[in-house]
Amino acid sequence: MTLTPGELSALMPLLIPALGACLLPIAALDKDQATVKWIRAAMFFIALFALTGCFCYLTRLWASGAQPQFGALRMDRLAQFGGIFVVVAAALAVLQLWDHLHQEGWVKGETLSLLLFAVTGMMLFCATGNLIVLFLALELFSLPLYALTASVRLREQAMEGGMKYFLTGAMASATFLMGAVLLYGATGSMDLAQIGSRIAAGPLDPLVLAGSALLLLGFLFKMSVVPFHQWTPDVYEAAPHPIAGFMSVATKGVAVLALMRVMAVGLPAVGGQLREAVAVLAVLTLVLGNLAALAQTSIKRMLAYSSISHAGYLLLGFVAGTAPAYAGMLFYLLAYLAMNMGAFGLLSAFGLVGDRCGFEQLKGLGWKRPGLGIAVSLCMFSLAGLPPLAGFYGKYMIFKELILTGHVGLAVVGVLASLVSVYYYLSVPVALFMGKPSQQAEREAAERPAVMAPLAGATVLICGFLVVILGLMPGLVLDGFAQSAAQETVRMVP
Amino acid sequence: MITTWIDSHLLSFIVFAPLLWGLALLPLSERQAPLAKLLGLLGATGILVIAATQLLHLPADAAGQIYAERFPWFTAVGVPVDYHLAVDGLNLWLVLLTTFLVPLTLLGTWNSITKRTGTAVALFLVLEAGMLGALVAQDLLLFYLFWEAMLLPMYFLIGIWGGDERQYAATKFILFTLSGSLLWLVALLFLGGRAGSFAPGVMAQAVAGLSPHAQNLLFLAFALAFAIKVPLFPLHTWLPDAHTQAPTGGSVLLAGVLLKLGSYGFLRFALPMFPDAARHFAFLLAVLSVVAIVYGALVAMVQTDIKKLVAYSSVSHMGFIMLGIASMTLIGTQGAMLQMLNHGISTGALFLLVGMLYDRAHTRRIADFGGVALKMPIFTAFFVLVTLSSIGLPLTNGFAGEFLILNGTFGSGFAWGRALACVATLGVLLSAVYMLWMVKRVFWGPANADEASGTAHLHADLNVREIAVLLPIVLFIFWMGLHPQTFLAQSDRQVQQMLVQGGAPPRALPPVLALSAEVKP
Repeated sequence: MTLTPGELSALMPLLIPALGACLLPIAALDKDQATVKWIRAAMFFIALFALTGCFCYLTRLWASGAQPQFGALRMDRLAQFGGIFVVVAAALAVLQLWDHLHQEGWVKGETLSLLLFAVTGMMLFCATGNLIVLFLALELFSLPLYALTASVRLREQAMEGGMKYFLTGAMASATFLMGAVLLYGATGSMDLAQIGSRIAAGPLDPLVLAGSALLLLGFLFKMSVVPFHQWTPDVYEAAPHPIAGFMSVATKGVAVLALMRVMAVGLPAVGGQLREAVAVLAVLTLVLGNLAALAQTSIKRMLAYSSISHAGYLLLGFVAGTAPAYAGMLFYLLAYLAMNMGAFGLLSAFGLVGDRCGFEQLKGLGWKRPGLGIAVSLCMFSLAGLPPLAGFYGKYMIFKELILTGHVGLAVVGVLASLVSVYYYLSVPVALFMGKPSQQAEREAAERPAVMAPLAGATVLICGFLVVILGLMPGLVLDGFAQSAAQETVRMVP
Repeated sequence: MITTWIDSHLLSFIVFAPLLWGLALLPLSERQAPLAKLLGLLGATGILVIAATQLLHLPADAAGQIYAERFPWFTAVGVPVDYHLAVDGLNLWLVLLTTFLVPLTLLGTWNSITKRTGTAVALFLVLEAGMLGALVAQDLLLFYLFWEAMLLPMYFLIGIWGGDERQYAATKFILFTLSGSLLWLVALLFLGGRAGSFAPGVMAQAVAGLSPHAQNLLFLAFALAFAIKVPLFPLHTWLPDAHTQAPTGGSVLLAGVLLKLGSYGFLRFALPMFPDAARHFAFLLAVLSVVAIVYGALVAMVQTDIKKLVAYSSVSHMGFIMLGIASMTLIGTQGAMLQMLNHGISTGALFLLVGMLYDRAHTRRIADFGGVALKMPIFTAFFVLVTLSSIGLPLTNGFAGEFLILNGTFGSGFAWGRALACVATLGVLLSAVYMLWMVKRVFWGPANADEASGTAHLHADLNVREIAVLLPIVLFIFWMGLHPQTFLAQSDRQVQQMLVQGGAPPRALPPVLALSAEVKP
């Protein structure tokens, strides 16, 4: 079999990280990988190299305007957007992993390899319109993530968290598959475009509705929408910090992107039927996510519930369902990428490990590392949706579309939810700059060597910078990037 | 080249220079604190000089506009957002008040802030940028951005340098303010989407096409955000906490400028954009204002902490401003304009004076003092003078403002005007009671004999620096009292235009008072 250049260029973005993922275990074969510094450096270099290569390839593809195809694989604008999104998140996570894994004393090449496999799966997930490939991609990124959750085996919760994630995740995958089967049964096709045209041709089959609902459930699980969210706090707590950050950003992101494609291409006729259910779930997610986050004493669990609440805002975009709302969601994802990777990065950058991830441990640290403290605070303000930071514009666009489509009540719930969120997001800068470290914390800090986490610190600074830049100049990524991907998506509707 | 750039981007320069200057001061270390204070003071004074020299001599055009900058900023999915800054009659003096208060605050609290001084100075400058930006922004989304951006520096000023309950007060401050402004954002987005623009004029046209019910709801959303900031009774509960916990400088700027942004928001946006709804709710606003006047005064009377007393007096005084605005008369509104400046000067000065006392005695309880006049005669002279101006003694600034407001309310075409004006006059009386009673207990009588009392810790009267801070304030107290025309001339025409467009009751329009001169009917 020979590949045409077009087919190859559709495959390349997937091949690059997959190749890196296959190379890494070879480097990790060495028994001394944990002790010899240059081997560790080489492993991280391979991972970063693969991600950078993939990023360069995707941006060139975007700039050229080409949208190559290979069978069920369609590297269109939405897929390219998703690829760039995932690769950037993964690169930030890799940089943070270097410091975090050293802090944990558990540097293994497998971690990086699994991460790259997950990246491959995620890119495939937003680049296909075929239900079978969609399911394969779902498994391809889910399985490495289950393993990654449990990857630092030293930690007590690691196995428990990984197992929990695996069992619930398998359940969600099964539901997804069941939904796909029902849709196939009703329409006789696995291709979303054909499914869409066949649904539109006749009266709405109850089988289609049931299939769509089950399919949707699979996506909602990955987005951690209430009531499919219970795994989130436990899994994030068990996972290494950068992996938790990566899951919160990339998994949620690709689930949103793929769901956009499914809704726009395959199930536009069902969208209206499901809209009310989605609206109810969005409200539940906003209320529960934000209220539960208020009560947390661990930063990581707080961030987990915050990521649940952000799924609610994104769902609101689906309720509006217009092209500008999709553009707003894509912008939201980019903003969320910057602010949430920064937020999770703070754990690695300040060297909080194990059970010591509470606000207590953070007290007064802002004055010791002011640059980092400011960057983290900016990410928190952005998560809370305070202008003029990136997070504000994401919410701004989604709320505006909600209001224009007549869902003023939902918009009010949204802003009230973000008012609640201000309280817990502020508790991070409060701890950093206004808290006094307890005597015990001071003693412990004196005993341990000073935390040096240059790479994780750098990622947090980058994220803080991005949050400000995207806030001051939202047009930078909105006009060319998010908007054009969203318009392409909506145009897919036959 | 730089001067030509400044000439063509004057407002951008005035708004963003403090921000950049403040950010530049951030890296200074703790040991360089004196340098940070000096540079901060120089920067703030420089902004004052530039703003005063450049803005005051520019003539106003037919619409009352003095200086404007406008270009498209970004188009967020359909609705264009303009970067539109302008100075006109409504905000000229508020801009100058802000640039005037910041250097005074920095100089007046020179030794009050003892930890992380450089950061505090930087935050004051960032706060100045936010306040100035909100004052001159003409596009509503831009105004919203500055409005929110202003919160963060104030939040940190209260939360880091405040008193014992600082975290509680800071969080309460930010949550209260945000709860109003987020609902306002929904209204803003609704209108922006309808009108296809965030320019107030275009949005007002979109408002006119809506049903009265929708107009009322939208007006309430706007009014809620502004009323929390003012703060209007019963939304005032954050203010006493914020004031008592904030460092002196934070209190000065909070009372001096931040609160004004609420009433300014009413004048600039809420009333002109929703003329019908505004008339519909004018009575409610007026009643709440009068309640705030009387209630604030009564609560101030029973306070045991001097700063808290001044904070509640703020609630009362801001009630006067809101009453003037709700009267929808030229005189009343002009009085409100003047009273905004008065309150900024007098209450700002009171907070500075309380801060000076606290720095020496480390207590603010009224009971801890007594006979302060014997120990600090110069301080006492200044304090009594500012107190009298705050009460509204004729010849001082307070009198001119309150007189215009009461006059306007009394003569407004509204059925309730006379009754409410009478009740509000009671507030003037009450303000004399609580202020003078406090002055009597703190300054007169025999010196407090208790060794641990506040009076026992007072060893030095005001120094040259502190007198230098207070003298310009005293100058303005008399200037505004004797010749208020200086401060009203610019806004006269614009306020009248606004009222005509807003369809104010016909009785409200003919100018009757020589004080607000030069109005041709």
